[in-house]
Order: sequence, then C-alpha cells, then structure tokens
Amino acid sequence: MSISDTISDVSEAPVAVWSQIDANSAKVSLSGIVNVYSLGGVWTQIRDAQDAWLKQGDIKAKTLTVDSATVGSLDGAGIAFLIAIEEAQINAGAKYELSGLDPRYQPLLKEFDPISNLFPVPAVKPKRSFVVSTGMAVQNLIDDTVGLITFTGHLFSDLVWSVRNPKQVRWGDFINAAVEAGIAALPIVGLVAFLIGVILSFQAAIGMQQFGAVSFVGPLAALGIVREMGPLITAILLAGRSSAAFAAEIGTMTVNSEVDALVSGGLSPIRFLVVPRVLAGILVAPILTLFADIVSIFSSMLTMLIYGIPFVNFYNGMLSAVDVEDILSGLLKATLFGVVVSAMGCLRGMQTGTGAAAVGISATRAVVSSIVMIVIVDGIFAFISYKTGF
Amino acid sequence: MDAQITPNNSPYAIDVQNLTVGYGSKVLMQNLNFTVNNGEIFVILGGSGCGKSSLLKNLFGLYQPLAGNVLIEGQNITTAIGAERQKIMTSFGVMYQQGALFGSMNLLDNVTLFMQEYTQLTQAQMDLLARCKLDLVGLLPYETYMPSEISGGMQKRAAIARAMALDPKILFLDEPSAGLDPITSADLDSTIQDLSKNLGITFVIVSHELASIYAIADKVIMLDKEAKGIIAEGDPKVLRDTSKDPRVHQFFNRIMSKDAA
Repeated sequence: MSISDTISDVSEAPVAVWSQIDANSAKVSLSGIVNVYSLGGVWTQIRDAQDAWLKQGDIKAKTLTVDSATVGSLDGAGIAFLIAIEEAQINAGAKYELSGLDPRYQPLLKEFDPISNLFPVPAVKPKRSFVVSTGMAVQNLIDDTVGLITFTGHLFSDLVWSVRNPKQVRWGDFINAAVEAGIAALPIVGLVAFLIGVILSFQAAIGMQQFGAVSFVGPLAALGIVREMGPLITAILLAGRSSAAFAAEIGTMTVNSEVDALVSGGLSPIRFLVVPRVLAGILVAPILTLFADIVSIFSSMLTMLIYGIPFVNFYNGMLSAVDVEDILSGLLKATLFGVVVSAMGCLRGMQTGTGAAAVGISATRAVVSSIVMIVIVDGIFAFISYKTGF
Repeated sequence: MDAQITPNNSPYAIDVQNLTVGYGSKVLMQNLNFTVNNGEIFVILGGSGCGKSSLLKNLFGLYQPLAGNVLIEGQNITTAIGAERQKIMTSFGVMYQQGALFGSMNLLDNVTLFMQEYTQLTQAQMDLLARCKLDLVGLLPYETYMPSEISGGMQKRAAIARAMALDPKILFLDEPSAGLDPITSADLDSTIQDLSKNLGITFVIVSHELASIYAIADKVIMLDKEAKGIIAEGDPKVLRDTSKDPRVHQFFNRIMSKDAA
C-alpha cells in the first residue's frame, strides 16, 4: 500500500465480514489490508453483530471462527481487533478459534498473553466528602501561608546579606530584570496612565460641573493620581507583565531541575534568582510610578482645557492640594508594591510543579497573588495614612 | 521482504539523495547519499555533536535540508506541501530524544491522540489499541499516569508507544535505549526486532549503545564531524572486525581518543 492510499482505505471493501453459519457457529472473514484505517467502522459492526449473536441461545455451545487465510497484511490494530473479538468470546463463556493466520503474526499475538491484562476493570474514584474537601482546602491555605512566611523570612535575610555583601549580588541579572520590567514597560505604563488621567478628569468634571466646581477637578485628580492611581496602575501592570514573567522564567528553571542544580551546588536559589529580581522591582516600581504620575497629570491638564481651565490655573490648583509628602507617600507605596509583585512572581515560580502546564499555572497564580497582595498592602497603607496623616 | 506488506513505487523505505544538513550558513553534513530498505533496522552512528539528531530531523521533514531530497516510500518529503505532506507524515512515527510526551495528558491519552485525529475508531477501540502499544513497551500498568509521574526511561518507552500509535511503516527513534537499564534495553531491542520481522516495520535509529547496535542493526552508517559525511556503511559487526579506518575502529572498539592518536 502506498502512502497516498493509507487514509482512503476506509472507503474500500470491508476488511472483515460477519457471517452466521447456524445458531451455534459464526465466522468472521478477514481479507486485504487490515490496519488502523481500514478497521474504522468495521470493528464496531463486527463487535455489535458478535454481541447480538452471543445474547441468543446457549452461550457455551457457541463457536466463533476467525478466518484470516486471505489477509494481505495485518498491523498492530489488526492484532488488537483479533484480541477484542477473542476477549468478547471468552468473557461470555463461548468458544473462539483462529484459523489461517500467517505464522509471522503469532509472536506478536503472544506478546499480549494473557489478554485479560488489556481489559482492566475501571477503577472507581472514591468521592470526597464535604468535610474532607473543606479540610484539604484549609490545609492548602495553611501550607500556602507557611510557604509565604518562610519565603519572606529567607528573602529578608538574603536581602540583608546582599546589602552587606553588595559585590556578590548578581548585578547582571539585576540589570536585565530592571530593563525588562522597567524600560520595556514604559510605553504600556505611559499609555494606560494617559488614558486613566483623561477618564478620571472627565468623570470628575461631569459631576463637578453641576455644582460649578470644575476648577477643583485639577487638584482633586492630581491628588488622586499621586497618592493612589499612579502607584496602583503601575503595580497592576507590573503584576501582569513582570510578575508573570518572573514566575514563568523561574518556573521553567524549576521544571528543568536548574533550581535543584543551584541547591545541590550549595547556592541559595533565593539569593541567586530572587534577590536580583526583587531589587529590580524595588528600583523600577517607584520610577515607573513617577512617570505614570507625570503622564497622568499632563493628560488631566489637557482634558481640563476642554472645560476652559488653562494650564496655569490647573497648576496653581494642584500646588495648593498636592504636597511633596503626598508624592513621597505614593512612591513609598509603589516601592512596597514593587517588592510584593516581584517577590510573588519569584515565589510562585519556585513553587512550580512538573511539566509544561505547571509553568502556566505558576504564571497565573503569580498574577492573581500579586494583585491580591497589592490590594492588601494598599489597604494597610491607607489605614496607616489615616492614622498618621502621611 | 514480503512485497505484500509494503508495495510502493520505490524499492526503498527511505532514499536520501545529495542531502546537505545544517543551520543557515553552518553546514553539518554535505552530499549524503544512502538508502534504507523496507523492514530494515538502520542505525545512524557518530560522535556527540556530529549532527545525528539534525540528520534525523531532516529525514522526517521537521527541518528543511539546505540541499538535496529525502524520499519516503518514494514520495519526496522535502518538496511535499499541504495534504500530500500530511499523508507522508502519517506514514511514520517519531520518538524524540527526551520523549516529548504531552505533559497535560496521561500515557493512554498521549497514545490515542493521533488515532483520534486520523482514524474512525471509537474511543474504547482506541484505548485497547493504545494499551497494546503500552504493553509492547512494558508500560501497561502505568496507563493512567501523567508523564511527570514516571521516570525518564519510562517516558522514552511511552514515547515509542506513541510513535507506534498509527502502526506506521517507518519508525524514527532518537536514542531509544540511552538511559535505560540493561534489561529494559534488551527487552526494547527484542520488541524492535519483533516489529521489524513480523510487521515489516522499518526502523531508523540514532544510537550509541554498541551492545544494542550489534544485537539489532541490519545496517549502520557512521557520520563524522570533520569529514562532514558518512565514513562507514554496512553491517556493524563486519565494520568492527574489518574496518581499516582508525575512526571507525576506535568507535567500535571503545578506544580513548588520546590512545588512538
């Protein structure tokens, strides 16, 4: 058979034909090229006929003969077909005979002896009760929290070590990570910040216009941007871009046993892989935030022009509302976000299981955990700001 | 060879004509000419880094050769496109060096995947077929395991089972016995011989395992990095005992490079 016929064989004459001789004997005649393609459909027909025949009368007296004298060639699927017919006969308690099979196929048939191994009893999966499921979920949560605390401890001690031994920090990795997470993120941060500035100002202006207070939109938007929106947009973008990237990168290293190689070589994977990335996060998050603040305020200024507020008025209004302290507060928060986002990315990367799918799961978990942590840190920070006035 | 098993318009399973293998401007091998007969166990030998795996990937059309043609059962895989190419692709199976099993599927699903795409069998029939393949490589008890839950050697064997899913006429195996224990390796050799002898399957194997090569190979070609081509061709035992080429002699008799020099 040439390659071009391989798949089209299905449409040719059936390779197996069922014929019932009398009530207790039947025959399956095989002919031609019996392969994985030509058996499609035929297999089901023969087995259906066999099952219907086995259901009638006295099973023990029934004999099925498979005549394979005119078989042109038989492949692995053909052998599996013979096994399927035999198993159905034997299982029902009836008799089975195979005649005319080319002796060269015998060793292959013998390979599968005893054929009952090929028909395993499907295992029933035990159902988990609600209590067990809940318990396991709680246990997972506890394990995850313990993992987070342990990781934070290791990270903190290795960061302190890095401060004391700055020469041994992997600055090359740090620069790569900083460029990837920082400079490469400028366009997207700029775009999102610009649009957020426009949207914020428009929304505020629509409301304020009713009270004739459009001139207060500038100070309000600027304050909101430097204290909250700037750090938040930057952090969320970092979570989506860099946290996922860190998780995927370290996750792939974990899958390839590269992390194991570091450990067995006596190196701390946290010092080697996590510290440079967290330092990069600490550096780029406030810088990106400052950039986002500037772009956002500028876009807000442009928007307010439509409402007849000139740049100068906007600027003066902003100066009266925004202090250096507000900007610093926003940048400090951004720095914390930077630590959280990069550390979560690295942690999820280190927790990667095995296989390609595990890397994808880690990247997803990194983004989700980063965003959750951003919200938590933001909440704590808001509370501290309220209490201390910073 | 029984003509009924593989009647096709070419006397060879694989016919390699003036093949040049490389990447971009880097030529690994040039002007290779050899043929693989139907039902033969053909082994590609050579030192590490001489381009055996690259040659293999050129043979089954994964990479486009820099020059020359590869005919599989008389059909030119280098120029075939579309449906024609897909038909050629289903006529052989490939086992990659690292197994390359799909990590998100268990072993049974790994084997049935290609059947689902190309055949009209029912799921139960495909499962039985897949179990037969897994049984041949001794992995029947592991059908529900994920690739990450089994050892590297088992992954390789599962990959052979997957390569055999559609009962191809040709199997390309990239270092099948590397990393296997001697017993499993011998079992695998015997399975390969059975399949070759009884089903007429042609094997093209990249291997370093001398014991396995002597046991199963009908014909070997030996590649060399410096010569950028074939330096020996024929029966491995004959080459071992009669070859005058010091590189061939050294390889088959496991002589260290500094001793040979």
